[in-house]
Amino acid sequence: MRFLLALLALTTGMVSADGGLAVQNAWIREAPPGASMMAAYLTIDNGSDQDNALVGVSSPTFPRIMMHRSETVDGIARMQHVERIALPAHGSVELAPGGYHLMMATPDPQPVAGERVALTLHFADGGEQQVMAPVKKKP
Amino acid sequence: MFAAALLSACEPPQPPHLQQGTLLPSAKPVADFNLIDDKGESFTLKDLQGRWTFAFFGYTHCPDVCPTSLSMLAKVMARLRQEENLPSLPRGLFVSVDPARDTPATLANYVKYFDADFVGVTGKSQQLHTLTRQLGILYAKSGGDSADDYLIDHSAAIILFDPRGRFYALFNVPHDPDKIASDFMLIRNYYEASE
Ligand SMILES: [Cu+2]
Repeated sequence: MRFLLALLALTTGMVSADGGLAVQNAWIREAPPGASMMAAYLTIDNGSDQDNALVGVSSPTFPRIMMHRSETVDGIARMQHVERIALPAHGSVELAPGGYHLMMATPDPQPVAGERVALTLHFADGGEQQVMAPVKKKP
Repeated sequence: MFAAALLSACEPPQPPHLQQGTLLPSAKPVADFNLIDDKGESFTLKDLQGRWTFAFFGYTHCPDVCPTSLSMLAKVMARLRQEENLPSLPRGLFVSVDPARDTPATLANYVKYFDADFVGVTGKSQQLHTLTRQLGILYAKSGGDSADDYLIDHSAAIILFDPRGRFYALFNVPHDPDKIASDFMLIRNYYEASE
C-alpha cells in the first residue's frame, strides 16, 4: 500500500515535501504541427501556514517559460504576462485553460502527446519542485 | 378548427429560445471582403454562401484561448455530424487576425489539427477590418518584447453566418459544445421555416 501511494505520488507529480506545497495534474497541451507556442497547466496546493508565490518555471525542454493569464472581459480575450502567481496559505491555485497558464515557444522537435516533460517550479520562498508533465492532445 | 389551422399556417415562426446563442433581430447582410484561405486562394463573401458557417477570430501564436475555442468548435462539429436531419454540415472557419505571422501554410497545419474540415483564412489588415467591423469583432496588438513577439487581444465570440452569407447569430463565452450544437439545430429549423 505504501509502495502504491509512493508510486501514485510519483506518477501524478504530487510531492508535498517543500513547505507543504503540492503540485498536481501538470500537463502540456500538444500543439498543432508547426504552431509556435505551447501552454502548460497544473494545480498548486499550498497546505502550509505561509503565503507563497510561483515566481518562475524552468525546463530542459523549453529555454524560456513565461507565466501568463488569459482573461475574457466584455467579450475580449486577452493574455497578460504575470511576474508571480500568489499561493495563499491553505489555498489552491489552478492554472487551467482560459486562465493562468505557462506559455513557451515550441521547441524543435516538437513534444507530442504521450511524451513527458520535466518542469521545475520556483517559489518565492526559494523552494523548488520538479514535476513530470505529460503532453496531452486536448483538455 | 379550420380557421385556427389557417391562422397557424400563416403565423410567422417564433424565434427559438436559445441556451447560449443570440439571434440577430434580423439577419444582417455582409458587404463583400477579400481574404486569403489556407490554400492561398481568395476567400470572399461568395465562399460564405451555400452553407452555414461558424467563425472564430484569433491567431496561431495563442496557445491557450484559441486552441480551447477550436477544440470546442470541433466538438460542436462532432455532435452535428451525428444529426440525421442535417443535410450538410456547417463550415468551421478560423479567421486569423495576425496576417503578419500567420501564412496560409501555418493556418492549414493549425486548423486541420482540430478538424480536417476547418478552413483558415486571413488577409490584409484592411480587408480583415472590412469583415470584422461588420460583425463587431475587435482585435488589437498588446504587449510583447519585440516587433514580432506580441500578443493580440481579440473578441472571443463565435459568429454564425447563414447559408446566404448573412450575419445570423453569435455565441458569447463561455462556450459549451452541446448547447451550441442544439442551439444551431433550433436556429436552422427557424431559418428553414422563415425563409
Ligand atoms: Cu499565454
